[in-house]
Amino acid sequence: MNSFLEVIITSFQKNLIAGDAYLIVLKGLRVTILISALGLLFGTILGGILCCFRMSKITGLKRISQLMIAVLRGSPVLLLLMILYYVAFAESRIDPVIIAVIAFALNSGAHIAEVMRSALEAVDKRQLEAARMLGFSKTKAFFAITLPQAGKIAKPVYQSTIINIIQWTSVVGYITITDLTRTVNNIGARTGDPFFPLFFGILLYLGLSYLVYALFSIGKKRGEAI
Amino acid sequence: MIKVSDLSKQFGELRVLKNINVQINKGECIAVIGPSGTGKSVFLRTIAMLEKPDRGTICINGTDITKKEINLNQIREKMGMVYQGFHLFSHLNVLENITLAPIWVKKQDRNVAKQKARELLSTVGLIDKAKSYPRELSGGQQQRIAIARCLAMEPEIMLFDEPTSALDPTMTCEVLGIIRKLTKMGLTMLIVTHEMNFAKDVADRVFYMDEGGIYEDGTPADIFDNPKKEKTKAFIRKLKIFNYEIQSTGFDMVSMNAQIEIFCQKYNVRAKQVYHIQLLLEELMMEIFKQCYEGAQPDMAFAIEYSDENNEISIYLTYRADDFNPFEYGGNDIDNLGMVLVSKISKKHEHLFENGRNKINIKL
Ligand SMILES: Nc1ncnc2c1ncn2[C@@H]1O[C@H](COP(=O)(O)OP(=O)(O)OP(=O)(O)O)[C@@H](O)[C@H]1O
Ligand SMILES: [Mg+2]
Repeated sequence: MNSFLEVIITSFQKNLIAGDAYLIVLKGLRVTILISALGLLFGTILGGILCCFRMSKITGLKRISQLMIAVLRGSPVLLLLMILYYVAFAESRIDPVIIAVIAFALNSGAHIAEVMRSALEAVDKRQLEAARMLGFSKTKAFFAITLPQAGKIAKPVYQSTIINIIQWTSVVGYITITDLTRTVNNIGARTGDPFFPLFFGILLYLGLSYLVYALFSIGKKRGEAI
Repeated sequence: MIKVSDLSKQFGELRVLKNINVQINKGECIAVIGPSGTGKSVFLRTIAMLEKPDRGTICINGTDITKKEINLNQIREKMGMVYQGFHLFSHLNVLENITLAPIWVKKQDRNVAKQKARELLSTVGLIDKAKSYPRELSGGQQQRIAIARCLAMEPEIMLFDEPTSALDPTMTCEVLGIIRKLTKMGLTMLIVTHEMNFAKDVADRVFYMDEGGIYEDGTPADIFDNPKKEKTKAFIRKLKIFNYEIQSTGFDMVSMNAQIEIFCQKYNVRAKQVYHIQLLLEELMMEIFKQCYEGAQPDMAFAIEYSDENNEISIYLTYRADDFNPFEYGGNDIDNLGMVLVSKISKKHEHLFENGRNKINIKL
């Protein structure tokens, strides 16, 4: 029992303390968070735009967004990432992190567009009519009724979209980015003791997911569920 | 004042409203009745311009609201609509439901709106539910909130589309009580309802809708007690009749008795009389089952009709069997206690046999 503890402690020191390895891990974590957060931000904006197009009455816009959503949702994010890196931006000397952000924005944008659309369509049209009967204009009714209700419907799915993005960013090592996954992998390779750093990496990803979960639970009150 | 001229509306081939012309004065309370699918809801929705009429005009206080340049939002501020399904805003609590429109549409100050909402909540008797969410309330409570939500906009016209049809009897009472209060506030009201007693009581005028329009229009006394036209007569008569069919000896007598009770309550039939009706039917049926349907399934139907004029109740029972008159029993009274009872209870009874069907007509 004692020796097991000792093994852990030595392993911990060797992998995370020696040579200030934990600082490198933090750096990797920062990159992961940066790509996830920016990918999500632009993905949400793109999702909003795609959703608007998708639900618009103009057939051209509708078709274009339908196509984009279908293609982006249907293609693996890693391939998208590689196409952008090795083909689209092969000549330019653009920072790979930016390319990763673009890839994740595109991929999550398509998902988020569909999340938004199904949430908007799930809003009770009869409540909307009740609002119109009280004198709400279409715009006001959208902001007072549709948006808050759709927001509540979309929330859990949006939350899992975020967690998905965070986990999928672990593939950015393929385009030379040193993110959290790559960092812990490197450390393991260097010390020849991969188990501990990889396990620690998982803990950090878990921590991030939990953080997202905690952020979403803030302000959860009685009237939450529709 | 609402003036509807030459109003028509059709969905595809279905002409729901055909050339409706009617005038509703300020402060009038109109009950709209009629069979299902005759355009009562569509009529109400058209007045609110939720359905665009194909032809005709709707003038409210002299303004034709069917015109393109009209700002319908402004018109609807002065018009409340109460639905069968309440349609409260599910993401907001009761107080927020009521204050939302005053704040967003009327730009009322938040505190003023809240104060007003509290007053309205007391009016509808739900002040202690201010912080509840719609799904935590009973149907009757939700409907009262829906009414309060309309009143917060201080409407001049209220439209009710079967406000109590989704509610059980006690909740119906709560809601009708509130609507009754509103009639005293000088609102112009149109109420689509199946609650005939209520319509009779509160309405200044009744519209009977059928054949794509207001088929007959009159005071409650005109329509309910003295309808002039064919279909109105049939509709009103049918209201006062309860029909029931029996095709199995194992039929649900408890349910039948409950339905009879509900029917009788509508006409304030005394409890003793209700009991008599039930007893009489039970005894008659048992006798007929025994004599005519030994080992076979019955083919029997009855109707109970209530007549206002003399508070008389008529029962019409028919059954397919050989000619059998249960009132002509042989032997002594002791062996036929049931039928003795039936004869005692009924004021008048007769038995007929035509085309293989026995008919018994009884007056109580
Ligand atoms: N939006 C619509 N599109 C197509 N048909 C409709 C629409 N609304 C109503 N109808 C049809 O118009 C007719 C009248 O409907 P309406 O709802 O006004 O009847 P109602 O008198 O209110 O009946 P009920 O007592 O059952 O509520 C029905 O045949 C209905 O199917
Ligand atoms: Mg209807």
